[in-house]
Amino acid sequence: MLLFFHLPVLASTLLVSIIAIFTLVGIMVRPFKLDEARIALGGAGLLLVAGLINPLDALTTLLQDWNIFFFFLGMMSLSALADAAGLFDWLAAGAARLSGGSSRRLFFNVFILGSLISMVLSNDATALILTPIVYTLVTRLRLPALPFLFACTFIADTASFLLPVSNPINIIVLTMFKLDLWTFLRLLFIPALVVIGINMLVFFLLYRKQLKGKFDIKRLTTSANAIRHRAYFRYTCSVLLLVVVAYIVASATQFPLSIVALGGAALLFIGALSWKQTSIRDVGRHVSWSIFGFIAGMFIVVRAVEDTHLTAQFGQLLLHLSGGSSFGAVMVGTAGAATGTNLINNVPMAVVLTSALQSIQHASTTTRLGFIAATIFGCDLGPNLTTVGSLATVLWLLILRRRNIEVSGLDYFKVGIIVTPLMLLAGALTIWLLLR
Amino acid sequence: MKVLCCLDGTNSEEISNAVKNMLPASSLTIGLIYVTDSGPHAEIERSRERFMRAPQLDPRRRNQMRDAEASAAQDILEEGKRYLSGAEIFQRTGRPEREIVNFAVEWNAGLIVICPRSPRGGGPNIGPKSVGHVARFVLDHAPCPVLLVRPLQRITVSPVPPAPPIPPVPPG
Repeated sequence: MLLFFHLPVLASTLLVSIIAIFTLVGIMVRPFKLDEARIALGGAGLLLVAGLINPLDALTTLLQDWNIFFFFLGMMSLSALADAAGLFDWLAAGAARLSGGSSRRLFFNVFILGSLISMVLSNDATALILTPIVYTLVTRLRLPALPFLFACTFIADTASFLLPVSNPINIIVLTMFKLDLWTFLRLLFIPALVVIGINMLVFFLLYRKQLKGKFDIKRLTTSANAIRHRAYFRYTCSVLLLVVVAYIVASATQFPLSIVALGGAALLFIGALSWKQTSIRDVGRHVSWSIFGFIAGMFIVVRAVEDTHLTAQFGQLLLHLSGGSSFGAVMVGTAGAATGTNLINNVPMAVVLTSALQSIQHASTTTRLGFIAATIFGCDLGPNLTTVGSLATVLWLLILRRRNIEVSGLDYFKVGIIVTPLMLLAGALTIWLLLR
Repeated sequence: MKVLCCLDGTNSEEISNAVKNMLPASSLTIGLIYVTDSGPHAEIERSRERFMRAPQLDPRRRNQMRDAEASAAQDILEEGKRYLSGAEIFQRTGRPEREIVNFAVEWNAGLIVICPRSPRGGGPNIGPKSVGHVARFVLDHAPCPVLLVRPLQRITVSPVPPAPPIPPVPPG
């Protein structure tokens, strides 16, 4: 129904599709430098105003996905509060000390540290908090910064499917398809180790010249200097250990992970306020509030498209392309997720694929699991291809390059285009072998 | 004459050897420049935008990064001064290739001394890709002569193969 007029089904399907396509293209292109949240909410608003989605349906969709919203909030707060305690600085200083002055060992340690942080605190924490800390560290040590920056950015995504909590995208998919922890680990933990290994190997080869030699340990600050308040630091470490255990138990018992994340964040926040280490304003600054608008908008847009049965047909198309086999499911799912993630963004891609895969419940268990695992894998790892979020930004960087304006964003693309297809292929094959 | 020497943290010795061995000591004003590359900052901002955060880091992190950069730059320039005593030192932040060229214009440099790439630059020491993008840009845009300080590599270039014999033109 359009406003107060009853529309034929074909016309409303067409309108919904046009608005959805414009929303996705808008997220890709970001006209007038609009942020993704405004574009997604704009698309959702248009659908609501035009009566192309029932407001009650829209509200129900948002309420059903409360776990995802609260997980994002909990995860971002946890990282911000751990950072306030100096945890990441302390870990980075420790990694540097353990490398004994060797650049190569430091590079290796950064990969391991990034993997652990991604695993427990999600890829956001590695990409956003660890990266500037590592940059500061290697700058002080007079080591070339770029290999270490790339290491942090790449490992953030490469290690983001070690556990369900390692990437909020995993929560989006797992909210719909309730995989138990054992199945998740069975299908994705080993592929994660495989792609982490490939990532490290390729980077060591690419940067072997830059990583030669030693650095002067005397330039390092001590790990103790990283800690601003000892008691709060110890408290933070204890709470985070509890959170890790609680995550594992919650994943195993299908308890909502957002409650664990929020509970941990609340405990850390109480401690931070008691020891006067932060304020509500400080924590609020580290939270990306626009992400909630973005996800909400995307959920409503995809719900509207679902009502036209287009996503179901997309799901059937995926099943058809896969030939109904687990191999096909993993390959088609991985390729589709990784491509879509680079064209638009991994959040809308995960939402679209999750919606589409609901229509393949009649497929065999291995095919369904193949698609689910491939969606998580492709959406998590896919961003490493361009590492700038969208194809539009890459095209802009290429235009600048043609005008002889040297832009280092292309360096990421050159590295991503070498290593990411290798990781995608190896990881997908590993998932398929584990499915059999 | 004003000679602008471009330091990158690894080449103080090569630059100073080149200046001492190839240039007359008298009537030279040596300037040492080190440019802190702002490229990593741009990468970090791009990464933040991908995760829908404000591109600017919080002030504490920004200051930590700036302090580290200032400390490293000071170190490198002091090291350069130990090799070339009496040199003036200049520190800039930005894209190295552009800052070097712009400063050479401002300072009225008569010669720029630069290495083709850092030994950690990743490329070959000789051949088509032996000049990195910073040195290439400086060579292309410098307002004065440029002395490119290559590492010593006594490798002969392979001879041009002989042209194939031209077949005789048949009579008539």
